[in-house]
Amino acid sequence: MASLNVNGRSVSVDADPGTLLVYVLRNDLALNGPKLGCGSGLCGACTVHVDDRAVRSCQTPLSALAPNARIVTLEGLGTPERPHPLQAAFIAEQAVQCGYCTNGMIMEGAALLAATPRPSEAQIRQQMNANLCRCGCQQRVVRAVQRAARGGV
Amino acid sequence: MTTRPETTVSRRAFAVGAVSAAAGLTIGFRWASAQAPQGGPAVPPMIRANPQLDAWVRIAPDGRVTVMTGRVEIGQGMLTVMRQVAAEELDVAPDRLFLVSGDTALTPNEGTTAGSLAVKLGSTALGLACADARATLVGVAAAAWNVQAGQIKVEDGQMIGPAGQRMSYGDAAGSISLSRPVDVTARRKPASQQRIIGTSYPRVDIPAKVFGQQVFIHDLRPDGMLFGAIARPPAYAARLAAADLAAVKAMPGVVEVVRDGSFLGVVARREEQAQAAAIALARSAKWDAGAPLFGGKGIFDHMLTAADAETSVLHTAKGDAPAAAATRQAEYRRHFQAHASIGASCALAEWKDGRLTVWSHTQGPFPLRADLAKALKVPREAIRVIHAQGAGCYGHNGADDVALDAALLARAVPGRPVRVHWAHEEEMAWEPWGSAMITRLTAGVSATAGLTAWTHDVWSFPHSTRPGSGSGCDLRSAWYLADPVAPSKAAEIPLPTGGAARNAVPIYAVPNQAVTLHFLPTMPIRTSALRTLGGYFNAVSSEMFIDELAAMSGRDPLAFRLANIRDQRLEAVLRRAVEMSGWTPRVVVRRPIEPEMVGTGIGLSRYKNLESYVAVVAEVSVDTKSGAVRVLRLWSATDVGRAINPDGVINQVDGGMAQAASWTLQEAGRWDAGIMKAVDYASYPIQDFSATPLMSSVLIDRPEAPSLGAGEGSQAPAGAAIANAIYAATGRRVTEVPFTPERVLAALAT
Repeated sequence: MASLNVNGRSVSVDADPGTLLVYVLRNDLALNGPKLGCGSGLCGACTVHVDDRAVRSCQTPLSALAPNARIVTLEGLGTPERPHPLQAAFIAEQAVQCGYCTNGMIMEGAALLAATPRPSEAQIRQQMNANLCRCGCQQRVVRAVQRAARGGV
Repeated sequence: MTTRPETTVSRRAFAVGAVSAAAGLTIGFRWASAQAPQGGPAVPPMIRANPQLDAWVRIAPDGRVTVMTGRVEIGQGMLTVMRQVAAEELDVAPDRLFLVSGDTALTPNEGTTAGSLAVKLGSTALGLACADARATLVGVAAAAWNVQAGQIKVEDGQMIGPAGQRMSYGDAAGSISLSRPVDVTARRKPASQQRIIGTSYPRVDIPAKVFGQQVFIHDLRPDGMLFGAIARPPAYAARLAAADLAAVKAMPGVVEVVRDGSFLGVVARREEQAQAAAIALARSAKWDAGAPLFGGKGIFDHMLTAADAETSVLHTAKGDAPAAAATRQAEYRRHFQAHASIGASCALAEWKDGRLTVWSHTQGPFPLRADLAKALKVPREAIRVIHAQGAGCYGHNGADDVALDAALLARAVPGRPVRVHWAHEEEMAWEPWGSAMITRLTAGVSATAGLTAWTHDVWSFPHSTRPGSGSGCDLRSAWYLADPVAPSKAAEIPLPTGGAARNAVPIYAVPNQAVTLHFLPTMPIRTSALRTLGGYFNAVSSEMFIDELAAMSGRDPLAFRLANIRDQRLEAVLRRAVEMSGWTPRVVVRRPIEPEMVGTGIGLSRYKNLESYVAVVAEVSVDTKSGAVRVLRLWSATDVGRAINPDGVINQVDGGMAQAASWTLQEAGRWDAGIMKAVDYASYPIQDFSATPLMSSVLIDRPEAPSLGAGEGSQAPAGAAIANAIYAATGRRVTEVPFTPERVLAALAT
């Protein structure tokens, strides 16, 4: 059994310490936000926040987590009733095609905004560069991050 | 936190029950007494295939309106478009419609959602059916109130008479039956009366995707679900000699190990356990290696010398032309390219009492069902395929194949749903690829820059080997079973749409034309539909060639095109795109090499010669030391006729351009003797933020013109514009896609 703090709640899961966080979040805890993409840390679809940092959950075994690590997934970032500004901005900019990369884009972008509230376009592109979108929505994603940085307008 | 008690599967089951109950009908309803009317107006193809009105729309006594589409969401906003169209014609608020999509038990059979046809064919049929339903319901109120139908307004399913009488659709539904053929004379609203069609209605699926709600097939978790994984051969032609199933069955969590011929897989309690067991099984198994791919030859050598090539002249035109003042020929090449979805293919399957239910992100639930029946050797009526969204597929990827994998594994654990989610590397190695291609073009140009003759030869493997397309079974694992079912014989899609020869017919006015296909039906590396099929590379080739002809004639690329265009809509998008870009006329010439060379180029296409018109101007910078090409800007103008959702069209145009920039500059398959080796984002990199250009796109709105397919219109002109911008910058032609730094440097050295 492993104990985790996920989206502000303590949970315990029956998984080996070597189990990758993405499987625990998706299959044990039935969270849909983090997506299993390339499985190699190259696409960013599985991104979650661990202690406010954007982390690839497909590269993170449970054993690599600090004992009281705070894990936040897309579900914990915001809700339809209380959306994170970047979630609202993704809707306003319609910055989605298939939506499979969207989790990673929002989690990476939210971590960027937390550290750098007014990023330049170059900073956004650089910080998001390891998050891949095959549909070609990158320009809209940049606009969504810019919109959130402006306070949603 | 625990697993949510209510899974999507059970919710869907509830929804299914609700629909059936609302209609008071059983599965198979749409085939009863379905006869298309004889004579009269043209019957839309999807209505001909699904003539019954209640196959498309049903009204329950409580007023609930259910619309059904055989089209599926593949990340392009099609379910939003269908909702807009149905809401418009029915006068029901879009968010109040209950929309069912892609379910072999419930929806019309519309084949495959592909080829930019969902709007053109699918929405046309659904719109007509909804217009018929509205007229029928209004007729009930008109008779009851003894007024003309035209005197009745409808607001969100409430009919309102001239004296303020009110009747809901639900009330009216009780006195009519929609179990009859669609009246194809029903009149749809003219564009001037449309209030929802033509607006950028927000995508209905985006909020759920932004908040991490259950949307994707990968998120389905029915109670008792197990995980499956496949132990893959080391090469496509390899066959299994021996495997130690018992050793793998003893691994942690493993529930079953399945062998059927050379198909080898495992079922386990946890996803990571299934994957570990499948890897161990594949490694410990003994495989007989097959013959080397392409006989060990280079791909383009193989294509030009293949003994089984089928050569046919697909198109000719003959006319009077002035003598050619100059002629030119060129050859271009394109490497294998992949769909490379961010999410690998996934399926969920469950056998119960000899019946199979499969949840799949297939583009064609009905064709998939037909091929599953062949592979599993059960009647198709014993199988139900239900669509659930996957990651963007961009054509025929592993979506269908993994459905058979899940069904084969689930058969070993009846009553237990089994989910199989391929690894990304597995997808890249085992999905069908977009074909390598060779094009050879010749043309003559008159003294006044008029095209006199044009030939286009193309060498290609098949571009459509989808399930349901022939007598065989086009699901990969079927070929590896102890009792295998061979694939269908691959065939070219006839022109005008074409497959390998798609967009090989010139868009310019040329008196003498010939298109010849050298079709290679045997696929050492399996190929199928990658977005646009052959259209991208044929149109890129034509547009590269046009710029070379312009240079040969001493003309500016824009002026040369305008001199040879007769289609006003084509001309309009071209003029608009160059205007946006601030085009400066100049003749392309060889320039002395400088460290950085910047140029702009044009790409122009009409997808399939039938669908959207798109013109793109690209500005690129070439680093002549490294050979690296950077796309700085892309400007595009698009004409899709009536744009049902303008922002949705722009999203597709921009996305298509970004994807095409990636194909054009960096994507190529690599393989060893037996199998693809470009299988991850390191060995097969795709566009990232740094490689995504700034894009500006506009629509030329034509509200009264029929809607044209928009999902695949921008790739070819974007690729061509990039190619021509490199040409304009340097005066040298790079002839092989992708334009890697090595190939750019080689061209600069000429």
